Amino acid sequence: MSQREPLWYCHECGAETRPLMIPDPACASCHGSFVEKMDNPSDDPRGFGHPLDTEDLGSDVYIPALQSLFGISPSRNFEREHRGSLGGHPETGSAPSVTFSIRNDNGVRTYTFGGSNTLGGRPPTMSEFNRRGPGADRLDPGINGSLMAQYLMTLLGGPTGSLNEIFARGFGAENGRMGDYVFNQEALDQIITQLMESNAHHPVPATEAIMEKLPREVLEIGSPTLQKDCAVCKEQFSLETEDPEEQVVVSLPCTHPFHESCIMPWLKSSGTCPVCRHQLIPQPEHHSQPGPSQNTSGNDRRSPSSRSRSPGGDPSGFLQSLFGSSMRFDRSSTGGNSSSSLAPPDQRNNTSSRGGNHVPGGWDDLD
Amino acid sequence: MASISARRLAKELHEIQTEGCPVGINLLQADDFAAWQFTIEVMGESLYQGEVFTLLFRFDKHYPISSPAVQFVVTDGKTSPVHPHVYSNGHICASILGNEWSPVLSVIAVCLTLQSMLASCKKKERPPDNDRYVRHAPDNPKKTQFHYDGNSP
Repeated sequence: MSQREPLWYCHECGAETRPLMIPDPACASCHGSFVEKMDNPSDDPRGFGHPLDTEDLGSDVYIPALQSLFGISPSRNFEREHRGSLGGHPETGSAPSVTFSIRNDNGVRTYTFGGSNTLGGRPPTMSEFNRRGPGADRLDPGINGSLMAQYLMTLLGGPTGSLNEIFARGFGAENGRMGDYVFNQEALDQIITQLMESNAHHPVPATEAIMEKLPREVLEIGSPTLQKDCAVCKEQFSLETEDPEEQVVVSLPCTHPFHESCIMPWLKSSGTCPVCRHQLIPQPEHHSQPGPSQNTSGNDRRSPSSRSRSPGGDPSGFLQSLFGSSMRFDRSSTGGNSSSSLAPPDQRNNTSSRGGNHVPGGWDDLD
Repeated sequence: MASISARRLAKELHEIQTEGCPVGINLLQADDFAAWQFTIEVMGESLYQGEVFTLLFRFDKHYPISSPAVQFVVTDGKTSPVHPHVYSNGHICASILGNEWSPVLSVIAVCLTLQSMLASCKKKERPPDNDRYVRHAPDNPKKTQFHYDGNSP
């Protein structure tokens, strides 16, 4: 649906809505009729009656504070200092910290980010925090204010490092992007370029199942394979290697032989034969190469008619190639942002279930 | 154990040194297995008669599984050829350097492909999006996802 359709605002729920037309417009959630179409930006009902409350927390001072924290534009309104430890905790670690104070009508509040870990050896998990919660007073300093900030900073420096990575990625100031947001024209240009070029077709890797099923031959004296070369390393197959891995030869369905240790890394990036581009798995359209013709006669020559990429009568192959290409994440994305590559979904599940990368506060952490 | 990439590059270098390069291509520098440079010129009748360009190959440890990063050198007074698939920063839009790379290809095979790409050029012009691309291009051309088609980059 078009994003440009004007939104509506329900004055009864106080929220944006897409109205039901029954036939008069009514709020989709409360069915109230006091809804207003937001087509005039100068008269936005969302601001009506809810003036932004700026004095209470002094929220306008948080922005420069955060900026100074991340070194975007060091602000002179805040003092930056490095301390060895926080008050009352004589720890020897000397992690840098940033302290700043905010004055408002209620007095002065001091925040310290970073510094030594005063929460114990490892950052507490979210469920531990929740357990402290129940009996505690609302003003319990355990879960708000400076301790919460410190909790977050401890996570940043914590042994998991995972949040650290997320932040390092997100605050990549050099590319002006953070998550879905862009901060400058250049970053926007990059995204546009990326979108325009993202229809480049990436090769589809072979699946584990395909790779497992490939015939393997352990070289023996007198084997005819010894007369051939591996096209990846360009070496002739030989029995005279110290590396036993090099005596295992994998033949692709097109009969081209390779060292197992040479061809497997390639198939993990592209499910094609390096020599003839025979497709072990359907490849995206641009590879106008012969499809996976089941040429079981051992005949290396393929029909010259196979220029068309996806055989018309094979919708599953087409779907698979579509799906396959959309499941693949760019290994090298545009804009110097190559570190943002993601593991394929199945791999990601594996890591989270293995628990090796346990993220405190993650969903699996709540019981 | 020498890595696959080092062994493969050593073999290619040995062949270049014993058998020589194809006509119009000369090895300029190959001191390590990280970066090599070649001069390249188009022999015979072409729009680039008399012009000599320098090609830079950069290899990572996954070569030849991953393609080399190949570009024309545009520093020290060197220029990139004015060609519809070559950007003024030296980056090259050629499918064999990206999606259609195959480990069967070699450094010399890439040189020959680029030589013939220049030789078959009909009109000396930059890619239509040259300015926009060069403004934001990453240092390593492999970080760019080019969209390959026959006529325009």
